[in-house]
Amino acid sequence: MRKNILLVLALSFLLSLVAFANKNVGEDLPRFELPNLITSVGQSADVQMASVLAKRAGLNSVLKKTAAAQDLEGIKTLTLVLGASLKGLGAAGIDVDQEKERVRALISEAKKRGIPLLCLHLGGEARRGQLTDQLITEFLPLSQMLIIVKSGDHDGLFSKICEKNNIPLVEVEKTVDVLAPLKEAFQ
Amino acid sequence: MILPRHGLQVLLLALCFMLTIFCGTQDLDLEKPPLDRHEPYNFRGKSGMVVAAHPLAAEAGLEMLKKGGNAVDAAIATTFALNAAEPFASGIGGGGFMVIYSARDKKITAINFREKAPSKSFPEMYIENGETNEQLRRTHGLAVAVPGALAGWSYALDKYGTKALSDVMQKAIQIAEEGFPVSKTFSKINKDEYEKLLQMAGESCCYLNEGLPFEPEDVFRNPELANTFRLLASKGIEAFYKGEIARKIVTAVQEKGGILTLDDLADYSPVEHTPIKGQYKDYTLYSARPPASGGLHIIQLLNIIDNWPVKEWGHNSVPYIHHLSEAFRFVFADRAQYLGDPDYIHIPETELTSKAYGKQIALQIKSDHVLNVYPYGDFDEKENEKESTTHLCVIDREGNIVALTQTINLFFGSGIIPENTGFLLNNEMDDFSRDPESPNAPRPHRRPLSSQAPLILFQGEEPLLVLGSPGGTRIFPTLTQIILNVIEFDMSLDEAIEASRFFSYSVRGETRPIALESRMAPVIIETLKELGHEVLIREDYDKYFGGAQGIMILPGKDIILGGADSRRDGYGAGY
Repeated sequence: MRKNILLVLALSFLLSLVAFANKNVGEDLPRFELPNLITSVGQSADVQMASVLAKRAGLNSVLKKTAAAQDLEGIKTLTLVLGASLKGLGAAGIDVDQEKERVRALISEAKKRGIPLLCLHLGGEARRGQLTDQLITEFLPLSQMLIIVKSGDHDGLFSKICEKNNIPLVEVEKTVDVLAPLKEAFQ
Repeated sequence: MILPRHGLQVLLLALCFMLTIFCGTQDLDLEKPPLDRHEPYNFRGKSGMVVAAHPLAAEAGLEMLKKGGNAVDAAIATTFALNAAEPFASGIGGGGFMVIYSARDKKITAINFREKAPSKSFPEMYIENGETNEQLRRTHGLAVAVPGALAGWSYALDKYGTKALSDVMQKAIQIAEEGFPVSKTFSKINKDEYEKLLQMAGESCCYLNEGLPFEPEDVFRNPELANTFRLLASKGIEAFYKGEIARKIVTAVQEKGGILTLDDLADYSPVEHTPIKGQYKDYTLYSARPPASGGLHIIQLLNIIDNWPVKEWGHNSVPYIHHLSEAFRFVFADRAQYLGDPDYIHIPETELTSKAYGKQIALQIKSDHVLNVYPYGDFDEKENEKESTTHLCVIDREGNIVALTQTINLFFGSGIIPENTGFLLNNEMDDFSRDPESPNAPRPHRRPLSSQAPLILFQGEEPLLVLGSPGGTRIFPTLTQIILNVIEFDMSLDEAIEASRFFSYSVRGETRPIALESRMAPVIIETLKELGHEVLIREDYDKYFGGAQGIMILPGKDIILGGADSRRDGYGAGY
């Protein structure tokens, strides 16, 4: 009998570890609709990863790194991939202030059309820095859900913003692990 | 069990004996640096030292030294290992420069194995509708120049080494075959270049992990590169320049719109030359000549700086940063005006590196304001973005030295991988000027201008410092600062390397901002702004400013120090 109780306790413990392996914070996870427009916030290469993951998840998505308001025609979800890159901004021919203006205008139009925002941060700890943090602080609070590679939250920035704004946060270990919650978010 | 007293004494003696043997066989290379890589740490050795941008590469070089190889053998073993362990920054698809010192003969030589423009190159090749098409210069077949690395390594080994090519690449084969966990640096660079790799090499390429970037600690293996090295080991470099690999290179490049031909590869040869030489107080500097411009510009800068009381001003003080930034801007003006491939143009090297010219520039610089006009030539602004390339230093037990800098230009080069070979082709053509009238415009067989500056600094007759760095046009300003940190500010080697850096330049005679690492004190930044400088703050240890590796030989040669830059994955291995 004692052995059985110990076995049940051990199994319960293991199950709880699995349950918390992909940590979720916040209320029940929202569901998003397709088609999905993926754009960058900061012009890092992480937006390409998001596009590859969306394709693997079988999601009808359009990638437009510098999406503008008119690109929202026919779109049901706007996915913002957070991450600044000076190289990426240079390649796009814009500076960070112009990037912020673009994203503000895009989000404003999305709000008018009732299009929800899904944020992704895929670069982990390496994709944090002064510029990226400015973008996170400004734009993450406007979103309906966030999926991140958890090393990117080493200082709790994402957790704090999500908790304050009641935004569901999904954390995964690696970029490839984003596939499952991403797929689930659109089911 | 209770031991009798006699037995206990015997046991203790045996333990002491074993401990003594253990300590006596410990190599200095088993010392581990501190966990905080930014904390200055000098690797130590007595007989030899290798410093490179990856621990596996440094250890490959050290292993070659311990097997009886000389500095050149070890340097080439390290270059092959870097191709396997740091494939995004150099390799057989690229080129570079090296400086070799022979301790017995007290002679120094330099080898130029810089890539060359294909025979069908022409100055306007990147211009479409009157504008430069940047993609053609960087992620296209037209971006690829004829690789020189393998020819240069083989030349150095044949003439100055003691081992065969097949011997020195064995460790690299093992690294490529078995793989290794990638670092944060590798992962970040892989992520930064993800789009290029997707576009040019495809989702299934070996430089992506099932189509996504490698995360830190993911294991990176490159069995195709291992096979390429095995082929070279058995057939020699002919396979690369004339045989099976040559055909694959040409096919891959032409499929992506390039113009490289089999004849271009077959015609490639490295060039050996006397190094460029300069003097600063009682120190003599030797480095590679143009088209490696870095050494020439370091000499120019030291000639200018020789007129100023830098030690009085203090390290990274406002007058120090202000004066050096102005000096950088003058030197960039000269660079744009005069520098290119000396096989085809005349470079007034003697005039540029004269003390008189340095004094002339120093007298023009004002202590209380920015000049804003630097009346020499053109410089192409977009060339300033590069952080790529790699550097290694070796010294062997005889005192022979190699300083070697090499690259495939931008990280992951052009992104083109010849079929099933595992190595990346360069995009070195991007180092040519965008101006068709420039002395550095692309033309058949020319070597593009480089900022590389592998160098050896002597104090009197004895080598003191071996140094070099990646970092595009930041190479020579960075190395100048490191040299001054050692000579003028009495820093240890790794303190000098880890110290915060700054950079500025000019374009068509006009001022550009000073870029500073964020560790600079706010009061310094504000005062520089008051002088008229625009200031850009970068990260605290930013690889934008390079990733220097260095060796310092202390007087009497009792101890050799190795300094490795925490801005990249630098590591030293000594024994």
